[in-house]
Amino acid sequence: MNTLDFSIVAQSWPYLWSGLLFSLSLTAAAFAIGMILGTCLALVQHFDVPVLAKIVRSYVAIIRSIPLILVLFWFFFLMPIVLGHLSGNGRPVPIGASATAFTTFGLFEAAYYSEIIRVGLRAVNKGQFEACQALALSTYHTYRHIVLPQVLRVASPIILSQTIILFQDTSLVYVLSLTDLLGAASKLAQLNGRLVEMYLVVAVAYLIISSAASQCVASLRKRYAIATTR
Amino acid sequence: MPLDTAGNATPSGSIVVVENLVKRFGAFTALNDINLRVDKGETIVLCGPSGSGKSTLIRCINHIEQHDGGRIVVDGIELSNRMADINSVRCEVGMVFQSFNLFPHLTVAENCMLAPMKVRGISQFEARDRARLLLRKVRIADQADKYPAQLSGGQQQRVAIARALCMQPKIMLFDEPTSALDPEMVKEVLETMVELAKEGMTMVCVTHEMGFAREVADQVVFMDRGSIIEEADPETFFRAPRTERAKGFLNQIIH
Ligand SMILES: Nc1ncnc2c1ncn2[C@@H]1O[C@H](COP(=O)(O)OP(=O)(O)OP(=O)(O)O)[C@@H](O)[C@H]1O
Ligand SMILES: [Mg+2]
Repeated sequence: MNTLDFSIVAQSWPYLWSGLLFSLSLTAAAFAIGMILGTCLALVQHFDVPVLAKIVRSYVAIIRSIPLILVLFWFFFLMPIVLGHLSGNGRPVPIGASATAFTTFGLFEAAYYSEIIRVGLRAVNKGQFEACQALALSTYHTYRHIVLPQVLRVASPIILSQTIILFQDTSLVYVLSLTDLLGAASKLAQLNGRLVEMYLVVAVAYLIISSAASQCVASLRKRYAIATTR
Repeated sequence: MPLDTAGNATPSGSIVVVENLVKRFGAFTALNDINLRVDKGETIVLCGPSGSGKSTLIRCINHIEQHDGGRIVVDGIELSNRMADINSVRCEVGMVFQSFNLFPHLTVAENCMLAPMKVRGISQFEARDRARLLLRKVRIADQADKYPAQLSGGQQQRVAIARALCMQPKIMLFDEPTSALDPEMVKEVLETMVELAKEGMTMVCVTHEMGFAREVADQVVFMDRGSIIEEADPETFFRAPRTERAKGFLNQIIH
């Protein structure tokens, strides 16, 4: 009978750790790119910018109807060809697996964050806009100091759950032969045959990180509770 | 007659001039041929039944609503669709809303400091000083670091008054500032408004508070169905309204 033997985990810790770091940095980068770009996409739709708003709407619709793994494939295999055509000589320009992962995740998450922010923008009370008008605040200052901060505060729980999903989705980078936490664990598991231990440890790691993130936002929300209710 | 910056003759002292104002919402005419002058230092009380166009009229004065006909001249600037004109008018016109409309994510002090810094371009120091001064004036200096939701309705409305005053406007517009308040808080807000009026602020107030009107109003303007029906000093208006509609309205608010 097999008994559980976790010593294998201790031995392979550095490898798992580097996998975890990759997952976390991909999540952080995709979050940053996704939020900044997503906010822009949401504002373009909110202001109904001619032509651009239509393009953005299609972009969001397309991204949201395609599995992330497919987008990763596309980027990895099609981007070099497209770039080759653009550069003129027709030869594919290879972009590294890491670069593909970071761009794809950033662009993909932007579509999801933009939807969250777009809905949040519509929920801001009309009176807030009128108060800004009455105070002669410009559109820029109105959105920068009044509207967007309120949207981000109200939408923070949804933004967080989307980010937790993002963190879990980073495991898809295995299709690009990149090694994240889950990837590291799978490789080790196959190497030493300790599948159960490895997958248990990884599950616990995901659980701890995701629930820590939820806790963190719960406490943030408590702190902001007074500032978001009226 | 002196000329204002638009080159139009205005009687000296009039800071708001509304001439033949028309405002429509689709096919519905909310304001029909309104004429109104507000002199410097004057307090005008606007009253009338619900839906008569009181809010719409004062919202046209700072261009939160865009008028469809006639002219509005505020402090020598005629309101057109030019954003520069609209903003210079809005700088001189403070507004207080029925539902306060404070910024919930900013503290009381920050609520007061934002627009003076971003619009008037004053420093944070100066803005903080000014906010402190005006919050003391409305008697909530000790609440400066709280969030709006931590204050009572009356306190919130006084913050809203301070926030508007921090822009150092020449005119203040009030749209039913006390009608969302519990009765015991109405008094504290009215006291603040009375004080302001007595200091010489030019005010246009939509309110049904007759005590307030009696104490400080120079003129009561009665509106019905988008038109001004009656204008008189408060004593005359409340004692002997000329029109049947004003009589009916007064009977209703006295119950
Ligand atoms: N945004 C709008 N769209 C369409 N109609 C409007 C709009 N705003 C106001 N109205 C209409 O214009 C008329 C005047 O409204 P207004 O709010 O100025 O009345 P009021 O005198 O302030 O009434 P109240 O005492 O209820 O505040 C009303 O019949 C109202 O339904
Ligand atoms: Mg009204």
